[in-house]
Amino acid sequence: MGRIDVEKMPYQEYTNRQLLLIPLVVLGVALLILVGAYFLTGTPVELGMEFTGGTEIRLDAQGASGDEVRATFSSLETESIQGVGSDSSYLLSTQETDTNQFEQLAEDAGYEVQSVESTSASFGSDSQREALIGMVAAFVGMSLLVALAFRTFIPSLAVVASAFSDIVIPVALMNLFGIELGLGAVAALLMIIGYSVDSDILLNNHILRRHGSFYESTYRAMRTGVSMTLTSIAAMTTMFVVATLLGIPLLDSIALILVFGLTADLMNTYLLNVSLLRWYKYEGVK
Amino acid sequence: MIDVRDNWRILMLVVLCLVAALALFGPLGAGDGETGLADNQTISDPTNLEYGLQLSGGARIRGSLVGQTAEGIEFTTGDTGSIERTVADELGVDAIDVTARAGDGQTGTIELFASSDNVSQAEFASALSSAGLDASADDIRDGVTDATRDRATDILQSRVDQTGLSGASVTTVSAATGGSFIIVEAPGEDRESLRELIGSAGRVQVIASYPDPNNDTAPQMDPILNQEDFASIQGATQTDDGGSVGVTLTEEAAEPFAEKMIDAGFTREGVGNCNYDAETDDDPSPNQHCLLTVVDGEIVYGASMGNLADTIDPGQSGDYSGFVADPGFRLNTNSYEEAQRLSINLEAGSLPTRLEIESSEFLSPSYAQAFKPLALVTGLLAWLAVSAVVYFWYRDVRVAIPMLVTATSEVFLLLGFAAAVGLALDLSHIAGLIAVIGTGLDDLIIMADEILQRKEEVKTGRVFQSRFRKAFWVIGIAAATTIIAMSPLAVLSLGDLQGFAIITIVGVIIGVAVTRPAYGDVLRKLMLDDVKRK
Repeated sequence: MGRIDVEKMPYQEYTNRQLLLIPLVVLGVALLILVGAYFLTGTPVELGMEFTGGTEIRLDAQGASGDEVRATFSSLETESIQGVGSDSSYLLSTQETDTNQFEQLAEDAGYEVQSVESTSASFGSDSQREALIGMVAAFVGMSLLVALAFRTFIPSLAVVASAFSDIVIPVALMNLFGIELGLGAVAALLMIIGYSVDSDILLNNHILRRHGSFYESTYRAMRTGVSMTLTSIAAMTTMFVVATLLGIPLLDSIALILVFGLTADLMNTYLLNVSLLRWYKYEGVK
Repeated sequence: MIDVRDNWRILMLVVLCLVAALALFGPLGAGDGETGLADNQTISDPTNLEYGLQLSGGARIRGSLVGQTAEGIEFTTGDTGSIERTVADELGVDAIDVTARAGDGQTGTIELFASSDNVSQAEFASALSSAGLDASADDIRDGVTDATRDRATDILQSRVDQTGLSGASVTTVSAATGGSFIIVEAPGEDRESLRELIGSAGRVQVIASYPDPNNDTAPQMDPILNQEDFASIQGATQTDDGGSVGVTLTEEAAEPFAEKMIDAGFTREGVGNCNYDAETDDDPSPNQHCLLTVVDGEIVYGASMGNLADTIDPGQSGDYSGFVADPGFRLNTNSYEEAQRLSINLEAGSLPTRLEIESSEFLSPSYAQAFKPLALVTGLLAWLAVSAVVYFWYRDVRVAIPMLVTATSEVFLLLGFAAAVGLALDLSHIAGLIAVIGTGLDDLIIMADEILQRKEEVKTGRVFQSRFRKAFWVIGIAAATTIIAMSPLAVLSLGDLQGFAIITIVGVIIGVAVTRPAYGDVLRKLMLDDVKRK
């Protein structure tokens, strides 16, 4: 038995415009979602406690139902109380940062306080700014390095554009799935930059630096690239399912966002990137 | 016989794995260290790995010192005293809340230990002008000076040390957006006690409260002792009705203290008991003589003179020389815990200003430690999924198994690195590990596909070498971008993300330098017969 091959994409049958259309429409819709969310809520995506300030308390309610837990805290301002994991654990969110009264009520009701995290609003907005600086610096650094590696405009642009879209699409999906953007999500989005450039650089490299026809090179890059991405998707899907079942914080949201990003990367690399490179190879100014 | 020159990459990987094994399980690790947890709170772990808050439980508080600093103000050393007094008077704050420091040269800094919510920058600036200084609101920034922060860090460290919180640490980090934070972390410690320990300035005063002849509704209250007046602290002891702290005054403080006590009538025969109860009473009674222990402006205990009257002035003659020669007495408290806190506050000294708590985290040890096995299970299952997919692609155990072994060795090396440098693992590091395996596998797939394409053509070492180099170009650029993308996070103080970024960067470096090249050689051995590198 040999290496399993991936499907050969019938690129010849479509024009660059047709190929570009799908990723651009998806990117457009994603951007629309972000802009819409911005006008509705003031931020492009719902921000987590680390960025807005507030408190998250995780408790083991020792078998109590969600309604009972809500009743316990009914005297205090809470934003939400949700079940997490498969046991009777609940995550309570509130804008308050003085958590004593919450902990007191929980103890009185016989719940076990598993974790308490709180952030002041001013520190949250500092973190917000810092995370934004970090993301922008990471993206700019990546773009410069790619430009330096290929030293041509269109291929570099293809990598950067695809990485951009790989980040924007998961953020839009976070909006739809109601995932908050916390520190874990920022880590995941940065990981997407790493994964995204892997397959993009591979494709560029095969097409620009190898002998052989465009389609032959594309196909060979695709075989490797699709294997890579699907392997990562398999790992992240497993991680998402297991971490959700076991109720492990951070890991579940990181995994899900990476699944979004890697899936977007498949589309962007083999539609957006390929069509840009084909245009560059056959029609573009060299 | 193994050709060392031909296989040095594989050998290096094996050697490094052995070193990592020594670091993880043997004597090379940074050591268990004192975790500060009782034995029954920890789940036994055969490795030398250290775990952070999220995997071992504990409390972490991040705070910033409240204050404003005017910089580059022209004044000289001789003026500091008068500047401090004038500014404090103008703003109506305690003199201790204004500190002027003359720098090298002509200019110095003036710190005001009040937040800009209480005293605006404009008010501060105008107070500075009243003190004859040329200052505007532009010269003033939020935050305190490095000197103040260092002092505060030392004081907090000494408070934490005295509580016997083993494994607790006090560190400062500066944020990229300006401002610095102090982070206090204590394993296993419950959040409230840590908050109490560090959240207050801990400024201890002793105030004499006694009947005012001109006012029969409020007593005369005179501060008589400050933090600096105590020469030594004997520690807290338990008493029948609470606790007490033995203190000895400095020579300079003993005399005025005794004089004041005698003048205010504290030592006179028949001075009644002080009935002040800190838990129920707000103000001391106008008719009693009380020695009030005050912490951060709040009366924690009101004491009668008791034996102290005799100690100071044994013969009612006004001769206090005996006391001055041995100026020791006890400060009483309502409980032993309070006595301990008082003793720590006295011993460690007071913080120059309040520590405003910006964020706090607490994880119960049992809850946090449950994540260790769970995270391991998650990792193992993800690994199995990857194995299945990789086998599906290649259908050849000679490609797939070395690939998985190489990826696993990458994780092993990283864990060895963590054990060797004593990095405390958190969930964010585990996320970083997963990121590294992910990009690592990507690279191994690139390597395998590149080297094995039309493998019957690879007859000479030169062809192998050229394919290896081509694959490595892609891997190298991808690795460099990942490192570039992560490096801002490695230096920013974004808590969790820093650990994630550091692990990812180290992992990518280990991968590119050691494991991924070694995999190329393994493939050559297994798949290409008799092809040497050269």
